[in-house]
Amino acid sequence: MTKEIVDAMAMQRALTRITYEIIEKNKGINNLVIVGIKTRGVFIGKHIAERLQQLESAEIPVGELDISSYRDDQAETIAKQPLDVNIDGKRVILVDDVLYTGRTIRAALDALMDNGRPAVVNLAVLVDRGHRELPIRADFVGKNIPTSAMERIQVNVEEVDGRDSVEIE
Amino acid sequence: MAKRYLILEDGSVYEGVAFGAPATTFGEIFFHTAMTGYQEIMTNPIYHNQIVVFTMPTIGAAGINHRADEAIGPMVKGVVVREVAEVSTNRLQSMSLHEFLLRHNVPGISQVDTRALTRHLRETGSQKASIVDYPDDHAFDQLRALVLTNQEVQQTSTPRAYVNPGRGANIVVIDFGLKNGILRMLNDYDANVTVLPYTATLEEVLNLDPDGIVLSSGPGNPHDIPDEMLTLIQTLQQKVPLLGIGLGHELFALANGVQVEPMRIEHHGMNHPIREQITNQIMYATQAQGYQIVKSTIKGTDVFVTHVDLTDGSIQGLRHRNYPAFSVQFFPDTAPGPVEATQPFDDFMDMVTVRRGG
Repeated sequence: MTKEIVDAMAMQRALTRITYEIIEKNKGINNLVIVGIKTRGVFIGKHIAERLQQLESAEIPVGELDISSYRDDQAETIAKQPLDVNIDGKRVILVDDVLYTGRTIRAALDALMDNGRPAVVNLAVLVDRGHRELPIRADFVGKNIPTSAMERIQVNVEEVDGRDSVEIE
Repeated sequence: MAKRYLILEDGSVYEGVAFGAPATTFGEIFFHTAMTGYQEIMTNPIYHNQIVVFTMPTIGAAGINHRADEAIGPMVKGVVVREVAEVSTNRLQSMSLHEFLLRHNVPGISQVDTRALTRHLRETGSQKASIVDYPDDHAFDQLRALVLTNQEVQQTSTPRAYVNPGRGANIVVIDFGLKNGILRMLNDYDANVTVLPYTATLEEVLNLDPDGIVLSSGPGNPHDIPDEMLTLIQTLQQKVPLLGIGLGHELFALANGVQVEPMRIEHHGMNHPIREQITNQIMYATQAQGYQIVKSTIKGTDVFVTHVDLTDGSIQGLRHRNYPAFSVQFFPDTAPGPVEATQPFDDFMDMVTVRRGG
């Protein structure tokens, strides 16, 4: 049975709060780059960038990170995709939809480091569902949703899924 | 019905008909453009000692219902209307507007040409006024001799701390003339609220281990509040999530080096579109504003603008760049007003939850 636990409105507000927290933590938006993990992390990252732009009237670059070739559960046969933004010396906000085991983020950090040497990397996720298998935590969390490992969390974004919501199954 | 007169400091006289209490009254006059919520407006401590003119032509059609009280009784000194509704069919009412004003000894005057009066007040700005039995020289002498107090917050703030218990987050409200709506909203989150007088010290606040601080709305001039409060805000905003409302917003601005000035035409109503900058969304909210942020003084400070009034361009919200602290000029407790404006409470309680490790 699928149940919506975060609606579009609450999801938008969570992104708004994360945006304000990013400003607080970075004392502004200087040198900031957002890197979204494909696919939904990219769109969430773009929403955060839009908000930063509304407030500070400055465009924040948003990169799209493909981590397929860095995954630890697949043979290294997929070609590495270079990142489309410069992250050297930048304050990088890494964005993903769900933080679970931490393995995706581990792979994303490897991919980031192959593309340059950021000054700082912070992690923003829309949902933290627990069950970490690696020592990784998020700096900005939209919603903490404690789950059992049997459950499935699905983040929907307008651009891909036609609606903004978080569902549990 | 007995004839009565509304007289203004500048010599103008408006004839009308008595309702409410037959007393003579003095106060600063202002007009409110809201079409609903007369009871909330009359009982809002921000209007303590003032005479309210309702531009809505008929007032009283919903009677008086104690769930709509913003304080224990009316705060205004007089009520000026075009017409008092003779019939109210509201099943929730416990008495009529006339009975309410009579019980609390507040005079009203109806059959006044409130359109002409409002136009006049728009020209002159707010001034002293009086509701009297006869507009003779004596009445004007009395009116001119009236000294308006600058002790409004002292008179409306609670003299001692009290608790409004709940099972959730520990919230401290600093009372500058608190209205019930703020407590009602915090109740919705089951917050455990302690209300402190405006003279609260840092030690008194921190001894309560607050998860969040609310600086309440209130009457009067923010510059009349002692400087100690500004120092207190400067320290608290670094430690605990903070929400300022109305007067609390103006104090949050002053504490962060932004200047605040009186508005020539005060704004009391709920018909201005307000834009939330970050989402570009428009909302309507109840506003009761006699002072405004001086825009040019924001640059170089650690706060930035979050909400703007699209009708007059005035700043309706500020946020600190380095701390989880923000403030709104309008009333997010929506008593009265459009419920779409409650977002600041959601945002504040969200901030509180995040910092409590939720």
